[in-house]
This record gives sequence, structure tokens and C-alpha cells, in this order.
Amino acid sequence: MNTWKEQLADQIPAEMGVLIDTFEAQIELRKQGKLDEKVFAEQRLRKGAYGQRYDNGQRHDGVRTRELSYPSGELVKGPDTLWDAPGMQRIKIPYGGLTAEQLEVLSELADEYADGILHITTRQDIQLHYVHIDDTPDLMRRLAAVGITTQEACGNSVRNITACTLAGVCHDEVFDVSPYADAMMRFLLDHDDVQDFGRKFKVAFSGCAGHACGLVKMHDLGLLAQTREIDGETKRGFTVFVGGGLGTVPQQAKVLADFATEEQLLPLAQAVSRVFARLGEKKNRNRARIKFLVSKLGIDEFRREVQEELKTVPHDDRHTAYLDTLGDFAYKPAKAGMALNGTPLPDGFSDWYRTNVYHQTQSGYSTITLNTPLGDFTAMQGFQLAEIARRYVGDNIRLSVEQNVVLRWVADADLPAIYRELCEIGLGDAGAGTIVDITACPGTDTCKLGIASSRGLTAELRTRLIERINLLPDAVRELKIKVSGCFNSCGQHHVADIGFFGNSRRSGNHKMPHFQVVLGGQWQENAGSYGLAVGAVPAKHIPEVLEALTNRYVAERGNDENFQTWVKNLGRKEIKAMLQPYMKLPSFDDKPGFFSDWGDSRVYTIDDIGVGECAGEVVSLFSLEIARAESAHFEALLALDEGNYPLVDQQAYKAMVLAARALVRTKYLDVGDDYGNIVNEFRSRFYETELVYDRFAKGKFARYLFKRHDQPPTQVGEDYAHQLIDETQLFIENIHSAEQRINGVIVS
Amino acid sequence: MTIVPNRLGVKFNLKREPAIAAADIVPIFQRWIQEHTVDGMLIDVIDYKHVPEGPGVILIADEGDYAYDFSDGQVGLHYIRKRNLPGILSDALLLAFRIALGAALCLEDEAPGDIEFDFSSAKISFLDRQRYRNDPSLYAALQDDLSAILAEIYGCEIALERAYDDPRLNFALRVSAQSSSVDGHKLLARLSERPVSVQ
Ligand code: HEM
Ligand code: SF4
Repeated sequence: MNTWKEQLADQIPAEMGVLIDTFEAQIELRKQGKLDEKVFAEQRLRKGAYGQRYDNGQRHDGVRTRELSYPSGELVKGPDTLWDAPGMQRIKIPYGGLTAEQLEVLSELADEYADGILHITTRQDIQLHYVHIDDTPDLMRRLAAVGITTQEACGNSVRNITACTLAGVCHDEVFDVSPYADAMMRFLLDHDDVQDFGRKFKVAFSGCAGHACGLVKMHDLGLLAQTREIDGETKRGFTVFVGGGLGTVPQQAKVLADFATEEQLLPLAQAVSRVFARLGEKKNRNRARIKFLVSKLGIDEFRREVQEELKTVPHDDRHTAYLDTLGDFAYKPAKAGMALNGTPLPDGFSDWYRTNVYHQTQSGYSTITLNTPLGDFTAMQGFQLAEIARRYVGDNIRLSVEQNVVLRWVADADLPAIYRELCEIGLGDAGAGTIVDITACPGTDTCKLGIASSRGLTAELRTRLIERINLLPDAVRELKIKVSGCFNSCGQHHVADIGFFGNSRRSGNHKMPHFQVVLGGQWQENAGSYGLAVGAVPAKHIPEVLEALTNRYVAERGNDENFQTWVKNLGRKEIKAMLQPYMKLPSFDDKPGFFSDWGDSRVYTIDDIGVGECAGEVVSLFSLEIARAESAHFEALLALDEGNYPLVDQQAYKAMVLAARALVRTKYLDVGDDYGNIVNEFRSRFYETELVYDRFAKGKFARYLFKRHDQPPTQVGEDYAHQLIDETQLFIENIHSAEQRINGVIVS
Repeated sequence: MTIVPNRLGVKFNLKREPAIAAADIVPIFQRWIQEHTVDGMLIDVIDYKHVPEGPGVILIADEGDYAYDFSDGQVGLHYIRKRNLPGILSDALLLAFRIALGAALCLEDEAPGDIEFDFSSAKISFLDRQRYRNDPSLYAALQDDLSAILAEIYGCEIALERAYDDPRLNFALRVSAQSSSVDGHKLLARLSERPVSVQ
């Protein structure tokens, strides 16, 4: 067997296989210039394949801006995004849960298609960088074979669904939210009602109100576990938050429902999606997140809309079917729980034990956090970790929003042994969740929008803090630092005690990298409040600023006064005064080092900032759906080349039905997937009304579909296959022109 | 057996831990981009020195990446050819080996006396688990062909062994020249005379 597609055919779930084959066909169509670049870009983003810095073919090398002449020349994978330019692949890991086998496959992919590094994101995903677009279909197949999808990891859709890393083992949780996050992920994945969003949509689950882990209040849709007595019975459900978000305009979520039962959870999420698709802003992407819709309507009106929408949501068995399988979610530890006995403890164990170990509610077990530097680990460490996991914890691996790997269900008696093994593979650092464990977005390393080097700064602060960790007072050690490379806040700097985000200032004729200092954000209470921006400081001064701030905090804080209160009491003015000495801009001749960013030797410039793909491309639902029809047609052509005529028939028929569906859905969203239904709706809405009629051919092209649908062939030969393919092509063209006539512009 | 893997890596280790810090490799690689010091369409530098035994500092290029690499607990120069590999395995190996060797020699020039490579051995990685599963039977089947190709590259007898036993890891070989000393410059001069056709 010569290809991954052949080799993995039996292991890839059918629907996932179809999505990947479609994408592969779209890659071919794009290469042949037969698919619009914006439509392709949105399809690519929905597969998690993002652009990366310098993919517009330009880079400032420190002296001048140089053209990067990629071999594919003019071919683009989106507006201003060159085909051969390395890209990022985001891989959805729902609630951060991984099995040992999945971790191994991810490591293989990092080894073979990326730069050997697996990066954990601030939303529990894995990212691979420097991936070539041509490698992505196989990469996706290998993931699909172990149950991982990249579908809707980026683009205007439902992103990864996150949840507390301690869900299921936590002392404070109301109940384990993991199976609910899992169910919602499955339900909303590639769902018809989440295809027409103006912007991304982020969902998070949290097990309790008091702690931070789930961060539900900064999400588009946040679900907080609750129970209620209903008719003498304890019912599980959720407080539902909507319209939170970070970004340039951070907003705390509003309560949509005090309590939605577990039966109401999925229909409610679906109704919210439909309201967002219907009423959300589509043109101005800066105002397209659901938080703007909630603000515009007001939460009461928004709630009313959702309640009305709920009445129109069609019945779906899947709304409640998952409740029957909640029990299947039981965790399987590798070993029996056992208390830590008198075994001798390795060097460094007690420091590590203090910061990296959490005692689970299940006695004899602990959850351990691997302080993973900048969220990065190597493919080799991935393999080694999978092996350690198999022996000690089984498939109980999670990724955290603080960019760490977490192993759950470690028998307490094994803690010294597992610590020793983690040290051997370089993942035994103490200080998880402390000031050394800094969160950072990709920043100027790989992000097109990066203004300053969030990762360079983070690496520098981490090195300096680790050297002094044992000298730091507890109050400082407990602080959280988060860094973003620009105001978009992918590093979640709003919800840290001390946050930084990149910007730039001018000194003489040069730009200088800066970080805006944001203080007193709250990680607790699910990101209960956001920090205060107090001033921009040259990037190279940040370590001193950090030291000044923490020293003063230790010296002046009242008994048990926490950082938030201290900041609030001190006030913005006083803090600004404290930063003032560091805000002065040296001249280039004085301190040339200030004009290079952390970890970069080039003279700093902002010329490399490109157009980000965070918002996805605003492409009409019709364009996306007709693109699916076109890739089915393309697959029919491939099958024709191979002489596989039954497959030609199948794919061409499918292409016609998908094209019809694309048009039907512009008027009737809930048409569903059933071929019979689609054809009937198409017939009554567009054929009998003559809306689809061509000026000259009238209803002839539409009748190609009806012919194939009503009289499936008994025998499929070469001639038939050729004819059907031609008819399909004509039919798709017919649908395109009809849509333009009926609905106006296609691509906005 | 002439199937060319998707990606092919060649790594030369340093003779000893150098005094130069990994952080100081960043400006070197940045300058290499400005001056086009090594082969390929050079794109960017990425710094992973915070990751233990990782790829260290990487100079990313379109055809292949150059890493000042710390994997396997050994500091070295790791060239990974990613694209435009010649269609014949012996040519592909020659090309990757030659480019890795050239880059390592450039790096020696940056810190004479401090950065010194041991060119008498190399790690060759076949980054393609579809065609090159890391199992002993595949190694047994390929050993003679690969030995012949690598002996020709070195121009002397060589010893070959698998770099990793773990079947999950990539198919990688450690090749050692059975000659008292290998001079990098002479080796490069000899290899540069051989034509290679890139696809
Ligand atoms: C205008 C464009 C963008 C905006 C407004 C934006 C905003 C955000 C926000 C607010 C978050 C995280 C907070 C949350 O959990 O909700 C986030 C996550 C993230 N963003 Fe962005 N972002 C943009 C573009 C980008 C780009 C171009 C990159 C670089 C490739 C990037 C990388 C990330 C990463 C790695 C995460 C964590 C990801 C995940 O797994 O979902 N973002 N973004
Ligand atoms: S915060 Fe800015 S620099 Fe960082 S990943 Fe987001 S868009 Fe890029």
C-alpha cells in the first residue's frame, strides 16, 4: 500500500474520510485555478490549516525587506497567502483529553511534517508549525485514524470546546463536565447550523463557580455545572453564559439561563447558534463576535430570540441520546490507588510535589502537571511521555489552557518514580501554575499579526525567574503572568495578575518593540474580571518592570492582600508613576539592543505584520456549500480517470444533490441531508417556480438531477459515466447562475 | 530499493560541547539569511532552546531546515531535506549529506576552534513512516543497499547500525566511517563533483 489513504481506509470514520477527501480535492481545484481563493481560504481555515508569518512572500531580514520567492510562484492558498509558504496546523483536542496512542500519532506528525515540536495552545489544542499545505490531507487522515479531527479548528465556526483539566477528579466540582463537553463537541461538529457564522464561536465548560479552570465568563458560550432539586429529584444542568470574550474589546459574559437541564443543553446550544447565524454581524468582522450581538440586542431581547428559535429547532434524537452513554465515560486508571509510602524521595521531589501535584477526590490518586516550557515539547518527548502514561496512568492525559501537559490518575505511591522518569525526559520542572509557568501566544515567532515577541519575552522571564524561584516570597511565586504578542489577546493577558501585550513606539527614526502592562486581571471565578492597562514599556525593560512591581507588592501589601486588591488600592496613577522611569525611550545610538526584540537579533520593524486570518474569510454559506459540490464533481473526474464507473455515478450524483442543497439552503436552512428531501425541496422551491430556469435551456439542467435521482442506473458503463459527468458540470453551472440571479453577489 | 522518503535528515555531532551559547546561534543564522550563506530559499529563524534535547535553533528554508540541534543528548547540525528530493535514493542521500556537511563547515567558521564537528559519523533519518517503518526486518532488507550508498559517499568502508530500536521512532541509521580521520573540507570537495538531479 502506497498511500496513507489506502493504508488507513478501514480506520478512518466514514464522515471524517469524506471531509478530508473533499479538502484534498479542493486543494487540486485551487491549484488548477478552479476554486476561488477566498472560498478555498475559508475551507482551509475550517480544517485548521492557518497561515503563518511571512506567507505573503516578504520578510525584513534586519537590513531590508526581502522577497521570499517560493517555487509555486503566484499560486495562493488565500488572499496574499502563497502556496508553498509554511503554515500552522491547529488540531482540536476537545477538553484537552488525549490517549497515549493519540499522543504518539501527534508526535509522529510533528516529526514528519513540522519542525519536531508540538505546541500546546491556550485553548487546549495542539499546533504544529511550518507545515506545507500539500501535506495536510495525510496529516489529517493519520489523526482521523485515531479519532482526532481538525475540522473547524479555525475559521468562522465552533472552535475547540474547552473544560477544566481537573474535571472528574476535582474536589470542588459539582459534577464532571467532560462527557458534556464531549457530547456538545460531537453534536456541533460540522453541524448545518454552525456553518454560517460571521466569526468564530468559542465554548467552554466549568465544573464550579469559584475556581478558574474553565474560564466560562470569557467565552462566547460558557456552561457552568449546577444541580437543582426538581420534583424531589436532583437534576444536573448548567448555568448558561453568553457573549463573553477577550480580544480588543474584552467583555464579561451575560447569563442567558440560570439553569438549563442536561436535556436542554444541546438544543439550547443549537438555538444560540441559529440566532448567531441569523442575526450576527457578517460584514464588519471587528463586530462580528456574538458579544456584539448580545450588546446590541441586550441580554433580554437576545434571550427572547433564543427562546423563539428553540421552538423552530427540529427534533433530533442526538439532543438526548448522549445521556444514555454518560456512564461509558468512566476513567480507567492504569494502577490501583495507593498512598505514598516510605520510599526514599528523589532530589527536588518536595519542591515539585508542592507545586505540580494535586490530590484527586479519588483517594490514593493524584493529578500531576508537567511544567511544559512555553507549551512546547519535542516529538521524542511525546513518545516518551506516551510510554510513561501507559505504564502509570493509561489514557488519562490532558492538556491545559496554561499550556501544560497533565497526567491524571497517578497512584500516589508512584509519585517519586514518575517524577524521576519525568526528570529524565526533561519534563520534571517544578513550579507548575506559579510565576515561572508563563503563558504565551505564538506572537512574532509565527503569527502574522504579532507586533512583539511574546515567546521571546516569556523565554527570557522564565529563565530569570527559574534561577531565583527558591528566593521568591510565596506571594510572588503564586502570581500568574500571561503574554500576548498584540492586542488580540490570544495569550489571555487580560486574566493574569500580570499581563503583557505587544505594541510598538517610535524613537527617532526607529520603531522599538514594547509591551503594554496589564495588571490585576482575575483568573479566579472563571476569569471573573479583567486587568487594567497601565502603560507601554520597551520590551527590553520588562524584566526590570516585573522586578520593581513584585518588590513593591511584597514590601507594601497588607496582610493577605492579594495582587488584584493591591493594584486596585494603589491606583492606575500611582502605578503609572512607578513605570515612568522605564518608559523613557533611549536613542538608537545609546542602546541599540532596545531596537531588537527578545530572542531576535534583527533590528526591529513592524513591516512584517500581515493580514491575520483570525476572522476567517467572510464567504457566503452558498459559496461554501457549492464548493463541496464541486469537489464531489472533481472526485467523479478522478474516478473516471481510474475507470471506476460506479464511483463516477455515486460522486456525480452526490455533486448534483449537494449543488441543489446549496441553493435550497439559501431559503430553507433545515433541509437536512436526506437526498430525497433535498430533491423534493429543490423541485418545489426552484424548479416548479421556474426560479432555476435558464434563459434558453429552461429547466433542462435541473432535469438532469431528477433523471439520475428518479432512475438510478442498473448498469454503469464508460459512456454513461462521461455523460453523467458532463451533465453534472452543466447542472452546477446552472445552480451558480441561478443563485446569482436570485440572491445577488456570491462572495462578499 | 530506491524509494525516496518524504523527508531525509542528516546530522553531524560536535566533537565536544562548545563554549558558544545556543542563543548566539540566532544572530549567526539571521546573518546567513541576509548573506545567503547556505543552500536554499532561506525564510526565518525559530528558537526552541527552552526545550530540553530539542531542535534548538532552526533556520527554516523552503527545501530543507538547518537546526543547531540538541536531540539524542548530542549537539550538532541537523539538516532536514523536506522538498525537492531527487527521485533516486542514492542521489537524495548524497544531496542531503552534502548540504548538511557544507552548513556544518560554515558553522565551524563562525567559531573557529570552538565549534568542531566529528564528520566521521552521521545520523541519517528517514522521516516517512509510510515507507520506512522502523523495524528490524526493513533494516535487514535495506542494509546492503544503504551501506553501499553510504560507503560511496564516504569513499571508504563504513559501519552501519540502527539509531533507535523503538519501533515508534523514525527509521534512522548511524553511519561511521572506518577510516582514521575524515576531513570535512576534502569530503565536501569530492562530493561536490558528483552531479545530482533534483526533481
Ligand atoms: C484579529 C485576529 C485575532 C483575534 C481577534 C484573536 C483572538 C483570540 C483570542 C481572544 C483568543 C483566546 C482567548 C480565548 O480563549 O477565547 C485566541 C486564541 C488563540 N489565537 Fe488568536 N486571534 C487572532 C488571530 C490569531 C492569529 C493570526 C494567530 C496566529 C497563528 C492566533 C493564535 C491563537 C492561538 C494559538 C490561540 C489559542 C488557540 C486555540 O487553541 O484556539 N490568533 N485568539
Ligand atoms: S495575540 Fe496577536 S500576536 Fe499573539 S497570536 Fe494573537 S494575533 Fe498573534
